[in-house]
Amino acid sequence: MSDPVLKVENINVYYGSIHAIKGISFEVYEGEIVTLIGANGAGKSTTLNTISGLLHPATGSVSFLGESLAKVQPHKIVEKGLAQVPEGRRVFAQMTVQENLEMGAYTQTGGLAEDLDKVYTLFPRLKERMHQTAGTLSGGEQQMLAMGRALMSRPKLLMLDEPSMGLAPILVEQIFDIIADLHRTGATILLVEQNAQMALSIASRGYVMETGKIVTTGTGEELLASEAVRKAYLGG
Amino acid sequence: MIFLNYFISGISLGSIYAIIALGYTMVYGIAKMLNFAHGDVIMVGGYVCFYAVSRYGLNPFLGVAIAMLVCTLLGIIVERLAYKPLRQAPSLAVLITAIGMSYFLQNTALLLWSSNPKVFPSVIGRGAFKLFDGKLSVSHVTVLTIATCLVIMVILSLFISKTRLGKAMRACSEDKGAAQLMGINVNATISMTFAIGSGLAAIAGALLCSAYPTLMPTTGSLPGIKAFTAAVFGGIGSVPGAFLGGLMLGVIEIFAKAYISSQLSDAVVFAVLIVVLLVKPAGLLGRAIQEKV
Repeated sequence: MSDPVLKVENINVYYGSIHAIKGISFEVYEGEIVTLIGANGAGKSTTLNTISGLLHPATGSVSFLGESLAKVQPHKIVEKGLAQVPEGRRVFAQMTVQENLEMGAYTQTGGLAEDLDKVYTLFPRLKERMHQTAGTLSGGEQQMLAMGRALMSRPKLLMLDEPSMGLAPILVEQIFDIIADLHRTGATILLVEQNAQMALSIASRGYVMETGKIVTTGTGEELLASEAVRKAYLGG
Repeated sequence: MIFLNYFISGISLGSIYAIIALGYTMVYGIAKMLNFAHGDVIMVGGYVCFYAVSRYGLNPFLGVAIAMLVCTLLGIIVERLAYKPLRQAPSLAVLITAIGMSYFLQNTALLLWSSNPKVFPSVIGRGAFKLFDGKLSVSHVTVLTIATCLVIMVILSLFISKTRLGKAMRACSEDKGAAQLMGINVNATISMTFAIGSGLAAIAGALLCSAYPTLMPTTGSLPGIKAFTAAVFGGIGSVPGAFLGGLMLGVIEIFAKAYISSQLSDAVVFAVLIVVLLVKPAGLLGRAIQEKV
């Protein structure tokens, strides 16, 4: 296989004296959807925030497109093509939908109109509400906005943190359909989820996290079929 | 007619408060801190302007431009040295540092320029416009002050709502973590906010000293505190709020001086503030946060 887009090697992350991530390693290759699944507090979001440069590993390394991110500031990491849709969406509630998308394109120097067009085609609901402030959107719409906003930076790797959180089942399906669509059009995606069933059903490969460690790995189908995963995450 | 005269004086004084309040409110909006040294930046602006015009005989407008440059740099340096290292510290530590910075600037000014009051040169002359057959007289300084405030307000509003940097400032003020994930350099944005606020403080300093031409190291303290009050009054963090709060505070202060008692005017001002905050805790235009989740 070619070089991975993202390579996480044996990272250890601490919050003060709490050892949150205990030596995990994984890779994401071009064109894959890789999912990190696990229960609340397993360290999934911590892992994403470490990759984004918001947290720093005590040991180990993160490299993106063959380059170490150890000394790169968070805003520079975005510039390199690594976008994160944070947990809880975190849209700018007092800014309009369009302004939120413009913020997503902050690192881009041109092609704003074209990129807005793409996002509005992908999420027609956002186009209808482009002049509304983001705080007035429903949860599902805010998730779409958060995803659209991240896509505006033309990411080479899109990281999604719990996109299904707090959404009604029908919206969860809709969001996962969009993620699968993005994947079909060639996007490389790292997906963090508690909803293991949904995540594994669209993933190329998955890693199962438990208390800061990766305990199992395999293709989406293998993990869906695995007895241990079924027991722990899929309700038997 | 006398009422109108007081009103115009109030608006003029309020314009100065508004320009200062913008610095407080913008910094609060983005860095979530009260920069109590902001008032002293006004004083530094006043002195720079004084020396440029009185000692070196420069054109007053050039003097103001130099003062803006010096204050902008001062704002960036103060933020970099005193506040940036405390980004993760409890807000009380930052507050105390800001108060310390205020005293530091005042004492430095005392060393450099002594405590003797300097008489500020009349930057644009002491002339006045006569209206209604001379019944209403409005000084040039007053007109310039109000006009400057309006221009600043319009430019700043456009900057914040339309430009890329202005939008980035709003994004940082809402959620610094998410702003970082957009590729926004949060530290640079905070630095830029201090730069703008301090540059405006220099203008306020020149206007203040033109209206009240006595310059001392403590010149910035009281207007600083009042402008801070104006910012809270209008809703701290809100740019239109600072504008409205500043103007209202100026008018209330002048009316209180004229119709109640000149000694009690400050007490009246703060009494009004207390009443407003009791009724609207977020200030007049403060955001009562209501969002769908």
